[in-house]
Amino acid sequence: MTELDEFKDELETCFGTSCGFCERGCPVYQTMKVKTLCMRGRNRTMLGLIQGRFEITPAVVQAAFECTLCGNCDRWCALKNTEHTRAFREYLLKHGYEPMKEHSSILASIKNYGNPWFQPRSARNRWTKGLSVPKAVPGQQEVLFFAGCTSAVTKQLNKGLAASAKLLQKAGVKFATMGQDEPCCGSTLYRVGQTEAFNELAKDNVKRFKALGIKKIVTACPGCYTTLKKTMAELDSDIEVKHVAQEIADLAKNGRLKLKKSAERMTYHDPCHLGRLGGVFEEPREIVRAVANLVEMPNNRYESRCCGAGAGLQSAFPRLSRELASKRISEAKGTGATTLVTSCPFCETQLRTVPGMKVVDLMELLLDASEDKNSGPARNAR
Amino acid sequence: MSYIDELVTALGKEKVLLDPSERFVYGADWSPRTSEEFAPPDVVVLPKTTRDVQRIIRIAYAHDIPVTAGAGLTGMLGGAVPIYGGIYVDTTSMSSVIEVDPKNQTVRVQAGATLQEVNDAVQPYDLWLPHQPESKWVSTVGAAIACDNDSTFGVRYGKILNCLLSAEMVTGTGEILELGHRKAHFTSSGYKLKDLLAGSEGTLGIITEATLKLEPIPATRRVDMLVFSRMGAAVDYLSRLLKAGLCLEAAHINCKRRLKFYTHSYSQKFGKDPEIPSWAEALLAISFAGDPDVVDSNREHALRIAKEFEAQLVEERAIVDAWWASKYTLDFEPFKQKWPDAQRTKKFGAADPGVPVGRLEEFYHKFVEVAEKHKLEIIGMNAYLEHPSSIGFSLSCAVFVDYRSAEEVRRFREFHDELSKLAVAFEGTMSTFMSDTHQKAPYLELEHGASLKYMREVKKLFDPKGILNPGKKFTREDLRR
Repeated sequence: MTELDEFKDELETCFGTSCGFCERGCPVYQTMKVKTLCMRGRNRTMLGLIQGRFEITPAVVQAAFECTLCGNCDRWCALKNTEHTRAFREYLLKHGYEPMKEHSSILASIKNYGNPWFQPRSARNRWTKGLSVPKAVPGQQEVLFFAGCTSAVTKQLNKGLAASAKLLQKAGVKFATMGQDEPCCGSTLYRVGQTEAFNELAKDNVKRFKALGIKKIVTACPGCYTTLKKTMAELDSDIEVKHVAQEIADLAKNGRLKLKKSAERMTYHDPCHLGRLGGVFEEPREIVRAVANLVEMPNNRYESRCCGAGAGLQSAFPRLSRELASKRISEAKGTGATTLVTSCPFCETQLRTVPGMKVVDLMELLLDASEDKNSGPARNAR
Repeated sequence: MSYIDELVTALGKEKVLLDPSERFVYGADWSPRTSEEFAPPDVVVLPKTTRDVQRIIRIAYAHDIPVTAGAGLTGMLGGAVPIYGGIYVDTTSMSSVIEVDPKNQTVRVQAGATLQEVNDAVQPYDLWLPHQPESKWVSTVGAAIACDNDSTFGVRYGKILNCLLSAEMVTGTGEILELGHRKAHFTSSGYKLKDLLAGSEGTLGIITEATLKLEPIPATRRVDMLVFSRMGAAVDYLSRLLKAGLCLEAAHINCKRRLKFYTHSYSQKFGKDPEIPSWAEALLAISFAGDPDVVDSNREHALRIAKEFEAQLVEERAIVDAWWASKYTLDFEPFKQKWPDAQRTKKFGAADPGVPVGRLEEFYHKFVEVAEKHKLEIIGMNAYLEHPSSIGFSLSCAVFVDYRSAEEVRRFREFHDELSKLAVAFEGTMSTFMSDTHQKAPYLELEHGASLKYMREVKKLFDPKGILNPGKKFTREDLRR
């Protein structure tokens, strides 16, 4: 989609309906209370641009980019609002409006280092230190564990990846990784409107996975999960994509893993990309229930509120992003839980910035509760 | 110093929106209009407190600038559209719940809290605010008062005025007033100025806080639907239920056509329209709520009486549930589907007259005649009982409007005006839930006659310069008389 005209009909439908029901669950709107920063207003802004009612101004660019693309608005509407916003960003870029300066540097990093974090490619392999994880070789494995750049290059998140790998081994999943050759999934490129660069990367990725003989990708990152799923669907590839929680839930549920269950109240935060956008709600909860006392926040599953880290908001609008995180942690505290469990590196990092609540990775939680956490594959492995 | 500079000084620049793209989105509500008819204000302000509102109005008063207050932008007739530009006061930034008083069953809120937010806050105390329009997710307390909109549960609890104990407002001169009777349910003291706020459309002042009466949440609810051969028979039946002493919670009469609009989820699920007997002209939805045995006995008695009126119970629960979900719970799938699918090319537009209870059927036929005369596709009529324990109803006479066609929008407005005037000739009223806005202003005298002069004086008392929501209720020229 290159021109806003292409979805004028959708924008007019929103104008015609004008219910504004997108406002209630929009984390940005609920914090800012400015109507251009929610879908009804954003759709109207795009309509106004089409009608030539105003020029592109910094406020228009802000309306396009001050959004986490969390998808809550889509829950209330038959229109594909998240797609509108993404296309709006693409439109601005195509019309010569440079991405937010914070986004430009991220894009440069992806180009130069294969990750948005300015980390050398070799950093991608750090998390495997001390683990016996084979590197993918053409034709030697069917399952690829896709670590995702954020967890791989962020030291504090390495433990979660190691836990994922150990649990997959316990589950008897024979997998390999791509080590430092693991590519960027392209999530950031896609979400900040760099569609052409994303399409190129996506094609190249599928080629590389195919060359290795990969049939299934298991990832620990919800952003990679939805992006790789989209890639496979759009490029007609039969490579299956799963989040690690989907692979591991059975292990926790059917007693194949000896677990110490505590009475601690824990709440689960659905990452937008895994839950609302990826449709994975129950498997992570089964894992939490297996090891602790799960209590729900009022806004859970489809209604989960974004942590504020998504779609470039954390880098371009840090103050707002922190406010969203604080709100979510307040909601978690309101449940009486002492630990918040989640399964996304962005949510984890973001929510840990707010004091007063322990934030743990789902896989780390499960591994820590496992009585034989250092032993090899579980019996009756697949 | 310009008034905009003064606003920036008073509120801070982040609370003053000046960019054309930002102002643009505040220039239209839910009412049928072409997208060329956006009427953006000159500046949007986002007050947080009553004092902020006072500062804004004092600046507007000094510079003689129009001030229009708004919230969810879900008005159905342009009531909060700033047709003369000026300052748009977005009240949704004032959304705090100030006090929940469970013992006295009241809540004090800022006027920009949505009705749903109020209910979210009081639900833990097993209390609720029963004023529930379909737009409750975005419709605010202040807007519900200023527009005097409908409620699903009017026949038991009435409309917002029945819940409103007291309200704080800022007048057109910037004076802060508290109108009402604190936490007492009613008063015989003084003039009931608080009541002037219902349907005032922000023309007397900007409502900033309100104390609302809450009700205990009933334990259970049962909803049923009955079909009648005539709309008048449904009215007679409801009158009979009240005579019997039954406690209705909701009562809505839909003409057969209108039901289709509300049962979109049924059609989506089953791939067909709900099967309603061909002889049926009216569908009545009723609900009872309370303790299960009381609800059951009320319901059984109501269904027994239905036989006297040759009414037939709709046995297919999917139809009833689809309607109820669409109307009240606004549950995910039905709601998500209903609006954009039904309104992809055309939009819902309505006239909202009120007629004497015995003339519903007669007026229904007039509605069809007028809609056909103006070549508008008919959605249908419904009558919602909005007065506690009484058969008084509001009417929604709805048509589809192609908002992409200026000519069809014009025909819709003619249709609306004709029905409004006709309602007065029927010994009724022009408006029951949308208020007058600018649309009815030119012919308001038709309904109010000589008393309009007193209304004009009331307006001038609260807003001597006529800066508050100009053009609404009174044309600008009329106020200058």
